[in-house]
Amino acid sequence: MISSLVKPIVCMAAMRTKLLTLAALALLAGCSANPIYTTTGIVLSNYSEGEATPYVLQMSDPEMACALGEGIDPLLYSFSRVTDAPESTGSLMMLLAGNCVEYRAWEAELEYLREDYAGNVPAAKDARERSKRLNAETAKRRYIAYQRAMAAYDFDPGAEELECPFLFTEQEELTFLMGLLTGLQAIVNDANSGAMAGVPRNIAPQAERAAQCVDNEKWGGIPNAIRGLVWLLLPDTRPNLSPDPWEVLEDSSELGIAAGFRASMALEAVAAETFGKPEVLEDVIKRFAEADNTIVVRDDYRLVDEVARDVIQFSSDKHWTKNYGYRTPRRHFGKMSPESNNEEVETMDLDDLL
Amino acid sequence: MIRKSLAALSLVAAAPFAAAEPIKMCVFDVIGANGDMFNMVEDYALEMKAHGVDFDLRPYTDEGVAVGDFNSGQCDAVAATDLRTRPFNKFTGSISAVGALPTYDDLKTVLATLAQPKAAGLMQQGDYEVLGIVPVGAGYLFVNDRSIDTAGELAGKRMATLDYQKDAIHMVNHVKATVVPSDITNFAGKFNNGSVDTAYAPAFAYEALELYKGLGDNGGIVDYPLAQLTVQVIARKGALDADTAQQSREVAWGMYGQAMNLIRGQEKAIPDEKWINIPDSDVEGYQEMFRENRLQLRDGSNGADEVYHPKMMGLLSKIRCSSNPSASECTASDRE
Repeated sequence: MISSLVKPIVCMAAMRTKLLTLAALALLAGCSANPIYTTTGIVLSNYSEGEATPYVLQMSDPEMACALGEGIDPLLYSFSRVTDAPESTGSLMMLLAGNCVEYRAWEAELEYLREDYAGNVPAAKDARERSKRLNAETAKRRYIAYQRAMAAYDFDPGAEELECPFLFTEQEELTFLMGLLTGLQAIVNDANSGAMAGVPRNIAPQAERAAQCVDNEKWGGIPNAIRGLVWLLLPDTRPNLSPDPWEVLEDSSELGIAAGFRASMALEAVAAETFGKPEVLEDVIKRFAEADNTIVVRDDYRLVDEVARDVIQFSSDKHWTKNYGYRTPRRHFGKMSPESNNEEVETMDLDDLL
Repeated sequence: MIRKSLAALSLVAAAPFAAAEPIKMCVFDVIGANGDMFNMVEDYALEMKAHGVDFDLRPYTDEGVAVGDFNSGQCDAVAATDLRTRPFNKFTGSISAVGALPTYDDLKTVLATLAQPKAAGLMQQGDYEVLGIVPVGAGYLFVNDRSIDTAGELAGKRMATLDYQKDAIHMVNHVKATVVPSDITNFAGKFNNGSVDTAYAPAFAYEALELYKGLGDNGGIVDYPLAQLTVQVIARKGALDADTAQQSREVAWGMYGQAMNLIRGQEKAIPDEKWINIPDSDVEGYQEMFRENRLQLRDGSNGADEVYHPKMMGLLSKIRCSSNPSASECTASDRE
C-alpha cells in the first residue's frame, strides 16, 4: 500500500525534474532549435576550445592535424545553425583544412617544376593548372579562417583607428595571430591561383596594423615578421624610422628559435622567394636546419613549429626541383645544391694495389 | 669509341636542357613572385618552353631597378609597364597615350593588330625587340571630392604624378593642377593621408593599396580610362630568332583573356557608388582635350616633350574612329 503510494510520488518528482530540465534547455536554446542539438553544440564547442585545440596544437603530425580540420570543421560548424558560431575553434579548424589543400597544391607545383625541368610542357601545364585550382581552394578556406578569427574577437580589421581586441588567454592570442597569418597566406594562394578566389588584397595592410595587438617576443617574432613582410609588399605601410624589413625578419626568426616555434622563419623564407632574394632563402633554410640541433620546441605549440618546417621544406624542394629536377635529398636539407663536402678528404695512392 | 659515345649519350640524358642557355628575365610585379603579373609571366614562360625557349624569371618589386638591371646586362629581357619600357620601343610605349583608348574593346583591337606577323618590323627599335604585350588595366582618376568631376575643377588641385612619366606631367600642367612628384611606392600614401587631392591608378590599387581611405566618404573614381596600362616584354635583339619572337608575341596575345579576367575582377571589387559617371555631353570635350595633348606630346609642341610615336597615334585614332565613326576627331583637319 505504502509502496504503491510512494511510486507515483517518485514518478511525479522524476517527471517534474525532467520537465524542468527540458524547460531549462529550451530556455538555453531559444524555442526554435532542438534543445539537445543546442546543448551538444555548446558542449562540443566548449570541448573543442578547452581540450581539442590545446591537444591539436601539441601534435607533431601536421597532416593528421589537417585531416582533423577537414573532417571536424563541417560538423563543428554545423552547430552554428542552432547556437552561436564557434568562431575561434572554427578558425583553427578551417586553417588546418586549408593546410590540407595546400599540401596537395604543393605536390602539384613540384610536379609542374619537375615536368618543366624535364621539358614535358603539356604535363607541366596540366600540373600547373592543378596547382592553381588547389591554390584557389586553399585561398578560399584560408580567407574563411581569417574572417572567423577576426569575428571571434569582434575585431574590425578595416576600422579607421586600430582598436585591439580583448584577448584573455594565450590560446586566444595565438588564434588571433594565426588568423592574421592565414589572411596573408590567403592572398599569396589567391595570387598563385591566378586570382580565382578573389581574396581582398587589403588584408595585407590590415594584418600589418593588427599584428601590433600581440606581444612580439612572446610569440616568437611572428607579429613583427608579419609587419616586416607587409612593409616589403607595401612600402607605404612602413613607419618612419622603422628598421630595415629584412633585419626585422631575421631578428624575428631568431626570436622564433628562442621561443621554440619557428613560424617567423617560414615568413622570412616566403619573403625571400617573393622578393627574389636567393641568398636570404639559402640562409634561412640553412639556419632552420641548423636550429634543429639546438631548438627546444615548445610542447604546447609543437604543431606551429612542424607546420613551419613544412613551409621551409617546400621552399627548399621548390628550389631543388626547379634547378635539379628532384626534391631536396634528406641529407642535403639546409643546402641548395648537391655538391658534397668531400673535396678535402685525403685519399690513398692505389698504385701498389693495381 | 663506343664507350665515348655512350658517355656522351648519358651526359645528354642527364642534362637534357643543359645546352639551351636560359634567357634571364627581370619581371616587375609590385608584390614580387607571388603577384598576379609575375604569375602570368610564368604562364607565358611555360608556353614559350613549347617553342624551345627557356626563361629564367627573377622577381622585382621596383620597376626602375628591373629596367636598370636589364640595361646593365644582368637580364636578357625585362617585363615592365610601358611607362618604363618606352625608351626601348617608342611605338608600343605609346599605347598608354592619354585618353587614347577609351574602351577595352579598342585595346583588344590594338593588341590583336600588333600581334600579327605583319607588325613584326614595328616591334623592333635599335637593339631591342618587343616580345609581348599584356594589359594590366586602365588608369583611373581617384579624387577626394566628388565635385571634382570636370577637368576645370582640377585646377589648383594637388595631383600625385609619377615623376618619370613626362606625358602625365604635361597633362597635369595642362589642367592647371599641381604636380606632386611621386613613385609607385608612395603615391597611395600621399593620397590616403590627404597630402594630395587626386591620384591616378589602375583598379588594382583600390583594394591592395587601400585607396578607399583617401576617397573617404566624399571622394570617388572617375569612370573614364585616362590611359591603358600594359606590361611589355622587351628583349635584346637577337635573344630570340625572328620566328620565335613572333611566336612569343602571339603567345602573349593569347593571354589577353586571362589578363582581362584579372582586371575585370579588380574593377568589380570597387563598389558601384564609388564610381563617378561622366555625362556623355562632357565626354566629347574631354576626348578633344586629350587629343590636343596627344598631338602636343607627339610633336613636342606647347612645351611638351616628344613622347608619343606618330604611327601609334595614327593607329589608335583609326581604331577609335572604327568603333565610334561619328566622333568629331574623325573629321578633324589635324587628325592624328
